[in-house]
Amino acid sequence: MRKWKYISPLVALGLWQLLAMVGVLGRTPSPVDVAEGFYDLIVTGLPPGYYLQWHLLASLERVLVGFAFALVLAVPLGILMGWSRGFDTVMDPLVEVVRPVPPLAWLPLAVIWFGIGIFSAAFMIFLGAFFPILLNTITGVKSVDPHLVEAARTLGARRRAILLRVLTPGAMPSIITGVRIGIGIGWMTLVAAEMTGVKSGYGLGYLILTARDIARYDIVVAGMVVIGVVGFLMDRLVKYAEKRLLGWM
Amino acid sequence: MRLKRVQEGGCGRPRRLPGGTLATIVLAIMVLALITPGCGKKESTNVVKVGYLRSDLHQLAYYVAREKGFFTEEGLDVKEGGVFNAGPEEMSAFSAGELDMGYVGSAPAVTFAAQDMVDIQIVAQVNAAGSSIVVRSGLEAGDVSALKGRTVAVPGHSTVQDFLLRLALKEAVLEENEINIITLKPPETIAALGSGQVDAFVAWEPYPQIAVVQNAGWVLENSSEIWPHHPCCVLVVDRDFASRNPDTVRRFVAAHVKATQYINDNPLEAADMGHLFTGQDSDAVEAAMGNIEFVYKLNVEGLERYVEFLKEIGVVKVESAESFCDTLIDQQFLPREN
Repeated sequence: MRKWKYISPLVALGLWQLLAMVGVLGRTPSPVDVAEGFYDLIVTGLPPGYYLQWHLLASLERVLVGFAFALVLAVPLGILMGWSRGFDTVMDPLVEVVRPVPPLAWLPLAVIWFGIGIFSAAFMIFLGAFFPILLNTITGVKSVDPHLVEAARTLGARRRAILLRVLTPGAMPSIITGVRIGIGIGWMTLVAAEMTGVKSGYGLGYLILTARDIARYDIVVAGMVVIGVVGFLMDRLVKYAEKRLLGWM
Repeated sequence: MRLKRVQEGGCGRPRRLPGGTLATIVLAIMVLALITPGCGKKESTNVVKVGYLRSDLHQLAYYVAREKGFFTEEGLDVKEGGVFNAGPEEMSAFSAGELDMGYVGSAPAVTFAAQDMVDIQIVAQVNAAGSSIVVRSGLEAGDVSALKGRTVAVPGHSTVQDFLLRLALKEAVLEENEINIITLKPPETIAALGSGQVDAFVAWEPYPQIAVVQNAGWVLENSSEIWPHHPCCVLVVDRDFASRNPDTVRRFVAAHVKATQYINDNPLEAADMGHLFTGQDSDAVEAAMGNIEFVYKLNVEGLERYVEFLKEIGVVKVESAESFCDTLIDQQFLPREN
């Protein structure tokens, strides 16, 4: 089956071009138009002088900053909530009330709090990535076999050692699943977050909005393709890291 | 709290799609695509689906014509096809066939027509002038050259406001790369100006005056000083709609002309109506009204100049600005001058 792995995008692409050539897609750009859009983005840039690679880098930077904050806060909080029933009971209602609010609904507040620089976009990523990581960490900790904890305790392990050397590694597969989902949602959120405008003038979401404003739908789709491919690569990267990190399991 | 472990990839082996499913889906899409355009055939009508921009004081004539019953007097049944936050959104609605006529900025009308995304005609002017360069409070500036090294927001790349800013820079002998031009939608711009995120912005009324009323900034230059009587919002019609209903379009334009004259003849009442239309502070609206020229006669030369600019910066690819405008602009619906 391996050789069939990339057949679905190729078939979709072919079908898309075919439908465009038959003329049923109307004003939707065809893959060939999109390729031309890519060419313009790389050679001329949009706005002229603002090239694709810098748009991509700006977006990646925002994602990394927001994601790093989410990771640093969500994992310890998740471990504590998974470990202590009391703490979980206290925190759970707060988490469950804030969690369903879509990151985009925070946008107006984010702009007053953080302006239009990197931190308002990073804040949206943070919100998108935080909850999947948190919830998966909690689940991961709770799913560690209690016998393992008992055994460690019998062998004289202190609370600190149990937390760091039994529960955290035990929860790792679940945490990484959370990371995968979190970074994916963060990436999706980012593009929307950039659509209000960004101070630097760079970003993939910003690029798409600019292209829409001047009716360059080929560039709109080119931007979408970049977002899709980068999202795919990020997911692969986390998967690869998972294999390396959890080789012992 | 019960939490389900998030699983990946579902359970068990992936199942095969039943044979022929894909083919059926493709066939269904093609059939749908073929039958949809057939549903749009209509007889000549007095119903007009119109689009306009939310809170854009330039488009007051639409509101006045509606509230004063000028459309009804012309025997028209005007339906709101859509209220939009930005011109490009309205143009997308045109390309989806949702609108017959629309009040919109020259920029989206021209760019979308040049990219063949819409098939429209410009049939009347809505306003001239009516934009300003606003500088944030606390920043001293004698003229535009003081913006050197500063961040300036425009509502969109290649918009009329972007062009105005470039003209002003040229006047002040500043290169475009000597300031940082960014895109921000006007509602966000005022907040960004207030918090010092941007040093100045160019936008259409009433945003400049709102910034003034909120003490966020002050007007450095009105657009009429940069480019006197420059064209701004226009009235557009779907070309197909116009060819099927020329009389309806003529009557709509007549109501628009009447409303425009009404605004000019009754400035105080018009300011009140502007306040109701935009929902913005009445002091801001009143001050903004003085900066807008409400006109219906098309400024063809001005539009050509703007298209020439779009051509120069590579946003539109047309052979000649003049012949492009010839096809785009149709003055036959305007009342004949005596």
